[in-house]
Amino acid sequence: MALRALVASAGAGLRRRRWLWLGALGVLLVAWPIFVHEVFFAYIGTLMLLYTIGAASLHLVLRTGHLSLGHAAFMGLGGYTSALLTTSLGWPFALAFLASGLVPAAVALVVGPIVLRLRGVYFVLITFTLGEVVRLVLNEWQSLTGGADGIFRIPPPSPLLVDKRAYYYFALAMATACVGVIARILSSQTGRYIDAIRESERLAQSSGVPILRFKVMIFAIACGFVGFQGSLLAHFITFVAPGSYTFNESLNLLVMNVIGGMGGLAGPLIGAAFLTALPEFLRGWVELQRALYGVVLVLVMLFVPGGLIEIGRRLLSTGRS
Amino acid sequence: MSVDLLVPILFNGMSLSAIYILVALGFTLVFGIMRVVNFAHGEFAMMGGFWLLFLLSWLPLTYWVALPLAAVLVGASSLLPEQLVFRRLYGQELPSMIAALGLSVVIAEGAVIVFGVHERNIPSTFQGLFQVGRFTFPEDRLVVMAIALAALAAFWAFVRFTRIGLALRTVAQDREIAEAQGIDTRATYRITFFLATMMAGLGGALFAQIYALSPYMGSVPLMKAFIIVIIGGLGSVPGAALGGVLLGMSESFLATFFGASVAEFASFGAIILLLVLRPWGLLGTPEA
Repeated sequence: MALRALVASAGAGLRRRRWLWLGALGVLLVAWPIFVHEVFFAYIGTLMLLYTIGAASLHLVLRTGHLSLGHAAFMGLGGYTSALLTTSLGWPFALAFLASGLVPAAVALVVGPIVLRLRGVYFVLITFTLGEVVRLVLNEWQSLTGGADGIFRIPPPSPLLVDKRAYYYFALAMATACVGVIARILSSQTGRYIDAIRESERLAQSSGVPILRFKVMIFAIACGFVGFQGSLLAHFITFVAPGSYTFNESLNLLVMNVIGGMGGLAGPLIGAAFLTALPEFLRGWVELQRALYGVVLVLVMLFVPGGLIEIGRRLLSTGRS
Repeated sequence: MSVDLLVPILFNGMSLSAIYILVALGFTLVFGIMRVVNFAHGEFAMMGGFWLLFLLSWLPLTYWVALPLAAVLVGASSLLPEQLVFRRLYGQELPSMIAALGLSVVIAEGAVIVFGVHERNIPSTFQGLFQVGRFTFPEDRLVVMAIALAALAAFWAFVRFTRIGLALRTVAQDREIAEAQGIDTRATYRITFFLATMMAGLGGALFAQIYALSPYMGSVPLMKAFIIVIIGGLGSVPGAALGGVLLGMSESFLATFFGASVAEFASFGAIILLLVLRPWGLLGTPEA
């Protein structure tokens, strides 16, 4: 299938001198707030980092060859879990944070065996529907979720993190940990199973990979991670509402992957950074910006299905020759 | 349940079904023939609403000219994205779907830029009530049903009795064989796209006149089309008709007795069940 080709096409480019690049990136991410003091940039930086978690987690699902349009629903489950536990029950953040990953993962474990039997378009449609169901539940179960208004005044994880720049470093640590784990999964034996499943389920099965169990596990891990993002985001912007976890948000996560490139983990990270920063700098032209968003999506599909990563690689290779 | 209650519910369900089928039919047709999940389908319905508003109250034309013209204009304007976007991605299920998602954003946001976000009303053409015995029916709903029925009949006759219709059915069954028989598949695709979006535009125009018109209204018909084609089977034309009737009727019944949100939950529950047990739908055919 086509997704397979897209995923396989990119990926090898940035592998050389990888550690050098990562080190430079790390220094940059740690150091820039020392020189740039505006809170606005710390705010955007935090959003970028948090979205890398969600985008990278969706990358895990995409790598198995399944396109989910309901990923934001699990982000919402995480956000609401964390928000409710800290506000209504007064749990400490650390415990609520753990739960914000466990609850979406548990839900994914329950629905996974059902939905992951479906492939291609049917999987897209059922995840789309699931997303709508979760949004409806958040909207209608007013006694628990506060209905369409959502939950306000969610406390920061710690009094130290009220400051946006402090939260930036917290987000940096969390995002590094989450993305690191995802990268580790992808480069392990499990990662090779994932690629085998995407390339050919039957072949993988005949080589002894327990397909469904594996896909459910990956799906649950991915949903857990996006739940973490939901929690970190909820405590950062201090409120949650059903409107934040609609189809548009799922689409957003998908677009990050598509625009960045689906070939490797670098794609969603670049896509997340790019697509979180872009709207913030185009605040004045919201409609135009969203329309452009669509144009970019179409153009990427038509001309560079490998995403920004592929553009970068093409530029590099023309520069060399 | 008394007849006094039953008749209005049935009537309401029928008029809902009529619009739903119009929209879902095009959606299922595009998937059945081109294997494209057209996420921009709802936006073509929205375009139908705006064309009707333009032709009806700004030009102004009479209703019976404005409505078909609006539908044809939607069909014609869909040929541009067909040429520029979809044609390059035929046969690639996921890329074409992502491109369609992008296209839907472009059209909806484009409409926001041109018309603004606020809801508009298309002045209604038929305001009278139609009396049968002790029941009264709003005329506009009756007209909607009649138009939808006529359009569906015309579509059926076109596919069943014309040579182009025969070509469409052949391509839907097997593209390569059809090409070997000398059928121009590109032209067939263009016609399919035109027909599909034209019906969506017609459905959207009818919908917008009864309810409201706004650039973001496309998501509602798209969602309904989704549900209907899952019920009936993706790609199946009779399935879309059956799904439309089932959805319209059950929404009408459930919304009357339990409220709109219960109706929504029920339809989602039904399609999740169906996707699990019978992903190819009630009247579709399982894929190999």
